[in-house]
Amino acid sequence: MIFKIEDVTVYFPYENIYPEQYEYMVELKRSLDAKGHCLLEMPTGTGKTIALLSLITSYRLSRPDSPIKLVYCTRTVHEMEKTLAELKLLHEYQVRHLGSQAKILAIGLSSRKNLCVNPKVLAAENRDSVDAACRKRTASWVRALSAENPNVELCDYFENYEKAAENALLPPGVYTLEDLRTFGKNRGWCPYFLARHMVQFANVIVYSYQYLLDPKVAGIISKELQKETVVVFDEAHNIDNVCIEALSVSVRRVTLEGANRNLNKIRQEIDRFKATDAGRLRAEYNRLVEGLALRGDLSGTDQWLANPALPHDILKEAVPGNIRRAEHFVHVLRRLLQYLGGRLDTDNVEKESPVSFVSSLNSQAGIEQKTLKFCYDRLQSLMLTLEITDTDDFLPIQTVCDFATLVGTYARGFSIIIEPYDERMPHIPDPILQLSCHDASLAIKPVFDRFQSVVITSGTLSPIDLYPRLLSFNPVVSRSFKMSMTRDCICPMVLTRGSDQLPVSTKFDMRSDPGVVRNYGKFLVEMVSIVPDGVVCFFVSYSYMDGIIATWNETGILKEIMQQKLVFIETQDVVETTLALDNYRRACDCGRGAVFFSVAR
Amino acid sequence: MSNQRKRLNGEREEDDEEDAEGIGEWERAYVDDRSWEALQEDESGLLRPIDNSAIYHAQYRRRLRILSAAAAGTRIQKGLIRYLYIVIDFSRAAAETDFRPSRMAIMAKHVEAFIREFFDQNPLSQIGLVSIKNGVAHTLTDLGGSPESHIQALMGKLEALGDSSLQNALELVHEHLNQVPSYGHREVLILYSALCTCDPGDIMETIQKCKKSKLRCSVIGLSAEMFICKHLCQETGGLYSVAVDEVHLKDLLLEHAPPPPAIAEFAVANLIKMGFPQRAAEGSMAICSCHKDVKIGAGYTCPRCKARVCELPTECTICGLTLVSSPHLARSYHHLFPIAPFDEVPTLSSLNDSRRKLGKCCFGCQQSLLGAGNKQGACVTCRNCKHYFCLDCDIYIHESLHNCPGCESIRRPKSVSLMEE
Repeated sequence: MIFKIEDVTVYFPYENIYPEQYEYMVELKRSLDAKGHCLLEMPTGTGKTIALLSLITSYRLSRPDSPIKLVYCTRTVHEMEKTLAELKLLHEYQVRHLGSQAKILAIGLSSRKNLCVNPKVLAAENRDSVDAACRKRTASWVRALSAENPNVELCDYFENYEKAAENALLPPGVYTLEDLRTFGKNRGWCPYFLARHMVQFANVIVYSYQYLLDPKVAGIISKELQKETVVVFDEAHNIDNVCIEALSVSVRRVTLEGANRNLNKIRQEIDRFKATDAGRLRAEYNRLVEGLALRGDLSGTDQWLANPALPHDILKEAVPGNIRRAEHFVHVLRRLLQYLGGRLDTDNVEKESPVSFVSSLNSQAGIEQKTLKFCYDRLQSLMLTLEITDTDDFLPIQTVCDFATLVGTYARGFSIIIEPYDERMPHIPDPILQLSCHDASLAIKPVFDRFQSVVITSGTLSPIDLYPRLLSFNPVVSRSFKMSMTRDCICPMVLTRGSDQLPVSTKFDMRSDPGVVRNYGKFLVEMVSIVPDGVVCFFVSYSYMDGIIATWNETGILKEIMQQKLVFIETQDVVETTLALDNYRRACDCGRGAVFFSVAR
Repeated sequence: MSNQRKRLNGEREEDDEEDAEGIGEWERAYVDDRSWEALQEDESGLLRPIDNSAIYHAQYRRRLRILSAAAAGTRIQKGLIRYLYIVIDFSRAAAETDFRPSRMAIMAKHVEAFIREFFDQNPLSQIGLVSIKNGVAHTLTDLGGSPESHIQALMGKLEALGDSSLQNALELVHEHLNQVPSYGHREVLILYSALCTCDPGDIMETIQKCKKSKLRCSVIGLSAEMFICKHLCQETGGLYSVAVDEVHLKDLLLEHAPPPPAIAEFAVANLIKMGFPQRAAEGSMAICSCHKDVKIGAGYTCPRCKARVCELPTECTICGLTLVSSPHLARSYHHLFPIAPFDEVPTLSSLNDSRRKLGKCCFGCQQSLLGAGNKQGACVTCRNCKHYFCLDCDIYIHESLHNCPGCESIRRPKSVSLMEE
């Protein structure tokens, strides 16, 4: 259907629209007009995605002289696929009604693992090894080397893409990850680099939160986005968690050992270079002396990860003298590793602020704060100079440098926590040092400042006025919508009392009460004897589920349940759970009936 | 499958909404009869009696219209010679008392009524009984045409214990029905009161086997709708319904009494040999082949082997010939050529109607058609003979008689009467 909201003609690809979808679109349009941020809550299943997409694309169509870009952030790859599918439908509808002026370019962007079409690279097992295998074939020095040495293996798709240069363009349309792969395979171009290149030209980009919020990734992918962009965070109820995780680092013993190994390897490489091509190291030294920025003169494909600190917090100064030479830098890192190892050797839980940590680091290991701030950049430059391509092996040292940079840059909003034991296995010493960020607004502040409109939407944003305070921004619109109940939906019933009129709840303090456990058990037995086929029972946590099932077993309730139906329990092991789920389905289908105990996460 | 309740009394809907949980078993029996709540007052404050029959009749006509709309004038092939196995679940769930006095007792009572009705409408068919007890299926009676023996075997032992196994029942029935001649239609009616089935093997395979042997399985559930029963009925082309109370159960059971439509590729036209025995002379003595005893007088003689049988329809025990009499065939005939529903006469067309042939009496029972105050009461008319009938006669003609008296009483000179079409 096509209708007007104030001055915007909205193209909605379905025949019917829910009243709450319409209101949602009106509020969204108003916040776009005001060029401000907004918080919108609408229950899941009411068609938020299509409402957002259709309004924003129609808004763009109605203002052709000031085109806006849409950046749609989702949590998982699956959600990305769903969004692109909806967008395809919408795009077809709009093109049908408006003709070719409605054509847009929409792409989904994900990691190399999801977009690579080179079978040899894809054979690597995890995301980091895929990245390393790709780098091995596409790094600029490798390509330079292959011109002389034909035995060096390159990636054909990347080579074709580079050859096509400016002609490497995607025709207008909506491209899911699958479509990108197909296109890349047909043309012989690398889909990943093509998609990254097309980010500047695309009208709609769909990717995951990390690409905007995590400074390490955002510095590479999203640095060229213009101001007139609408950023949508979908399913954003956990966005504060994502922001916090983006700026938190944890270091374990195993990390330190890996970092030591990495340093040894780097040392070997430095010695090798000193013997064969000392000029390269000297050139790097000169560059650092002149304070040339470590970003900017690198080709985009060589840059592997960006600085973990936020862009405006990165000091734009020359790298300090005590780490300009490669060997000195390695020494500094070794001292840092020793100090961290010493700190991990503790028996109590310790908590410290970054300032005191840095000062004790200074007094014990002689490393200044300014040195720490440049750790990351220096490591980056060193690895490029040494032409290291096995980036997946060097993750530990990179983690340590991340840690050092963050702890040197930020004084407020972080703390350092050292725990001697892992909480899951309290008897085995496995110390962990965590730099945790407390302030969710740190990571998202650049997004709010940089872009014209940020839309935070979810099905569950209550309490909604908490978010502006958490993320420290001022929304122009902050609204919650209700779902209209004229359609078939599942209506939940909340049980507050058991059959003997005792109040029941899964609150933490009431969990171990035998009356509550018995009431829940009796309730489940009654349900199981009346409901045919399958029953699914969700618990709050694994520990609660284990405890309550053990109690039910002792009191004989579990036996009564098993007389009526078979019992399947979810565990934390994926294979076991998949097997249990499969058998549960078979039991329901063949009439035996089953109960599935699982955890709602 | 349909869980819709036929509202014989329109007021029942309000009752159910009010007393959703509170209506006890004992109250349900009076739900229909709460006539004191349904009283209305007319203009002068006097009580007006409720005309239930009009509502009942409208109900009935609606049902008939649906049925004949489905037939839509086309002749549907139906299986007249049916071999039906009734499987009753006597697992521990049958001892539940949500049907008074227990599910078992109600099932037995209604199955008895069903058996009688079944043989009434399908005289050429045979029934067998199977029970499921303790997870094992037992044959209570083999396929036979005499209602008494089935009812006796059923009422014999009524006890419920153990689990229920759908697969075992299907396997047993499949084994029995495989021996049935190919012109017979194989059907199974399962009365399932349990909520699950404990099977020894893969029930899907058994369902496929039944489907291949052209077994039409229908299920009437007494507890809740189960996926496996739905699947079974969908695969084999049967009906799945779940009874919500006793009256509903009776209606659902009786729905299975008239023959179902036959599946085209399975219903091959065959010539079937049947015998029409003569009645034996009074006073003749013979050894009866069913009782193995000397009997005098009343009985029939098989035309092929001259053995004596006591009642019809039956299969001659000596030579295996199906023995029927012509009224039996006639009774089966009306399933194939159902009588068309009568048209309603709009009550506003008063006696000013030009057709004076209207008369003031129902053609069937000769009672006056005029209702209160000399106004024309509700009546219906047959399309073919144009006679008028009252509502009661309409119901009687369509449910029991299956022939329109007006059409039958028109004199036809020697041509085959096409009136029944």
